[in-house]
Amino acid sequence: MNFLKKASGSLLPIAEAQLSNNSAIHTSAVCCRVQSGRYRITTKRDRPLTYEMANPPHFIGHRKSWNSWNTSTLKDSLRPSQTAIEDVFLRKFITGTWHALVCSEIIIKRQHNTIRIAAIIRQAISPRKMYFLIGYTEELLSYWMQCPVTLELQTVADKKDVVFKYI
Amino acid sequence: MAANLTRLLEHKLQTSSAVTAQRCVRLFSTQQQQSEVNDDEEFRVLNLRTVKQQARRREIKKDAVQPPRTSRMAVDQDWTAVWSGPRSFHPASVPLPLRQGYTERGAAAPSKYANAELMKIPNFLHLTPPAIRQQCEAIKKFCTPWPKGLETEAKWKRHFPIEVLSTDYCHSLPTIRHPEARRVTITLKLSDLQFDAHAKDKFLRLVGERYNQETGVLTFVTDRCPTRKQNYDYALYLLTACYHESFVTEPWEDTKSEADMEEYHFERNQAKKSAEAILNWNSKAEQKVAASPSYATSVEQLINEGENEYNLAKYKEEVLKMLKITV
Repeated sequence: MNFLKKASGSLLPIAEAQLSNNSAIHTSAVCCRVQSGRYRITTKRDRPLTYEMANPPHFIGHRKSWNSWNTSTLKDSLRPSQTAIEDVFLRKFITGTWHALVCSEIIIKRQHNTIRIAAIIRQAISPRKMYFLIGYTEELLSYWMQCPVTLELQTVADKKDVVFKYI
Repeated sequence: MAANLTRLLEHKLQTSSAVTAQRCVRLFSTQQQQSEVNDDEEFRVLNLRTVKQQARRREIKKDAVQPPRTSRMAVDQDWTAVWSGPRSFHPASVPLPLRQGYTERGAAAPSKYANAELMKIPNFLHLTPPAIRQQCEAIKKFCTPWPKGLETEAKWKRHFPIEVLSTDYCHSLPTIRHPEARRVTITLKLSDLQFDAHAKDKFLRLVGERYNQETGVLTFVTDRCPTRKQNYDYALYLLTACYHESFVTEPWEDTKSEADMEEYHFERNQAKKSAEAILNWNSKAEQKVAASPSYATSVEQLINEGENEYNLAKYKEEVLKMLKITV
């Protein structure tokens, strides 16, 4: 500050006064809002929720379980990021291939080098087409993932079978 | 003949009446089917004015869904054939009235049908006690009996003093390799190796921190080679090389002076000379009297272990004995 005093003797008091006026830290309300994985109540109370959707993420491990089961999430494990990206890809591929048929979350379990994918599928297509899609999905995914992929599907007659509650 | 004919006619009449009855039902059921039926029976109607026919709505034919497999299962079925390997839960194959899920206000938990929670959790339906028994029976033919003479730990420790530790990692990845799996640790007790005084001293200097003074256990950890086999070989090589090197006496080892000694030795020190000088005071005899070994050990103990009550008392006793003084 001393060299400033020497440099501009007259301007300094004004600058100091301004500094003291505006020296307070700018603050705003803390945004603690968490929205992901939570659903809003509709006015008609007609939004269907599955059990998975009805329980928000902080109930994972208490009321509901994880959708991806692998060892990459353990401490000091290998390929955590690659596994996560692969899981995203698997989910996208399955929801797209089984278009408008998947009624639940897609559960991906990895065991050694095999990947087991479980889901609940609507009985909207003929069993023949379903068998084709199973083979198609397993074949393509095992080629891309370079490991055996197994589909373990459960079918429901109607979409409403998986609905847990309406909000 | 006539009777036969009448019977046939009657039969025909009955069947035809049944058909008409069915048709009536159909007629009432849908408009479309009625037109089909008309097409079959009557002449086609010439339709001069083109009446726009209603676009027929295609009915989606759904195949009959099989009832769940559990309803057809025998009570004494072979469960290992139903559930042979690890698999996600399927309600139609498991004849158990399972429920899972959290509900409020004491409502029943969601049933096993269309329950994703049951599909998520790992199950052990493939590892029932009969299944394990069956698999153990199957691999029994590959087992060999336990060698005789190695029944207790003390016995096998005597025959196999070296313990080799390595870790296998089971993980869910496309690769079965894990970089940590290459690490090999071998441990053995130093007492299992045979040394002379010089070799033991040199060996301990060579291995350094790998020897635990308190437990007397020697540990070699190798992880510098890429595979476990190479690391194991390297660990054994280290042990062998250190052991044999410790028996080699280099020419410069003789230049070890008293200041380099890590322990006090009675034989090499002034205490021996002083004791002998006192013992052989004014003696003309050719044979010089040496200090007794018990005196030597007491002096060594006093200096190596430090001055404590026991060592001092022992030293005093030895000195009195040597000088033949009775108190």
